Amino acid sequence: MQLSARRAVLVLVPAVALAALGAGAAPARADGEVTLAGAYYKERATRVMQPMLDARFDVGEAGVATGHMLVDAITSASIGVGGEEFAEKRVEGGATYTHEIDLYKIGGLVRYSTEPDYKSLFGGLRLQAELFDRNLTVTAAAMLGSDDFDNSGAGPTAPRREGALDTVLGSIGLAQLLTPNVVASVTYDVSQLDGEQANLYRFVITAGMQVDEKHPRSRTRHAVAGTVKWFVPASATTVIATYRRYQDDWEIDAHTPELRVLQDVGDGTVFATRYRYHRQDAAFFFQDDYAMPQELISEDEKLSAFSSHTLGAQLEMLGSVIGFTGTLGETRGQIVIEYVDQNNRFGNALVAHASLTVPFSY
Amino acid sequence: MFRLCVAALATLYLSTAGCAVVRPHERQNLARRTMTEDRAPGQGRFLQHQTGSREGADGGTGEPGGGCGCN
Repeated sequence: MQLSARRAVLVLVPAVALAALGAGAAPARADGEVTLAGAYYKERATRVMQPMLDARFDVGEAGVATGHMLVDAITSASIGVGGEEFAEKRVEGGATYTHEIDLYKIGGLVRYSTEPDYKSLFGGLRLQAELFDRNLTVTAAAMLGSDDFDNSGAGPTAPRREGALDTVLGSIGLAQLLTPNVVASVTYDVSQLDGEQANLYRFVITAGMQVDEKHPRSRTRHAVAGTVKWFVPASATTVIATYRRYQDDWEIDAHTPELRVLQDVGDGTVFATRYRYHRQDAAFFFQDDYAMPQELISEDEKLSAFSSHTLGAQLEMLGSVIGFTGTLGETRGQIVIEYVDQNNRFGNALVAHASLTVPFSY
Repeated sequence: MFRLCVAALATLYLSTAGCAVVRPHERQNLARRTMTEDRAPGQGRFLQHQTGSREGADGGTGEPGGGCGCN
């Protein structure tokens, strides 16, 4: 399977232009960091393990580049695929480059993901301006995505399935310093998806028949999120409150408030807790049971009406806390454990994330 | 309803931001790691991927979601 040349060009042109901008930067002594991490997700019927590698480094006097590579190892007795267990690996790589010119930043990103039957390419541009003596930061971004699905490698006996999905995302964000201890921000995202959006392996049992899942081919999604970050000097506590409202033309309406409290515990140690609530309505064509086949029909549980509660704890520590010096002393370790309680067929989930970030100079 | 929500957030934002001026020498607390980016680089990405494949809602981060066949 090949992504179409036209769409690949659309996605890659911004990234190549920015790479050229970065290549012209003057060499200088610079800093960077490398992060080795692993994530784990487990629910009733699905387990995901994801090792990942992230890097960030200065490019010349005014550029910053990042890159990442990860592998998703997914094992699932997937709901709606006849209860059969399958294992699959997804490999993803991505890069960004951001160039600073006075009060402005221009950046580009590219991301590519590949699975045996699914390829995805994303690319985009991001502009940022710092205004009013850097009290207000305005960010605008535009991104294009191209996904292709094809199971022709599954063997001659498997029914042939293929599809494509194009995504356009626009985003605008404002961040305002309110006091020496408070910053507020608002981000609005709108995205348009056109193409195959059903899972081509999933089917619905109705009226004694097995019917392939079928979703609308177009979807317009809106999300607005507001965040307030407040540092309390007396106790060295940071409080982060976020509220997101989401709506789309599949009639999903969702509210997602979140509260995080981060507590400095001595020099180089931070303990954080997190609570997140999510509630959403069902898509207009989703039903728990279909009496008869319909033009639009779905077995996708995430399109149902449900709510979830997430509780999490995070510990971050510098190497210097346990006696290391030099680079090891500046190395940052982080562990995150979360529990998701959700009233849908996915069931409750356990999430864990651990990382080690090592700084370097060159 | 959604337009009302956006309008309310924008009004609240503009009303609180209009008179705020924080000078550069007053920003040491705003530059703390807990006030900027306290998560490891991959943690936010994994979180967005996880919720994007388990919830019908996505976005509000300025970052692209999706990008896999896990729908």
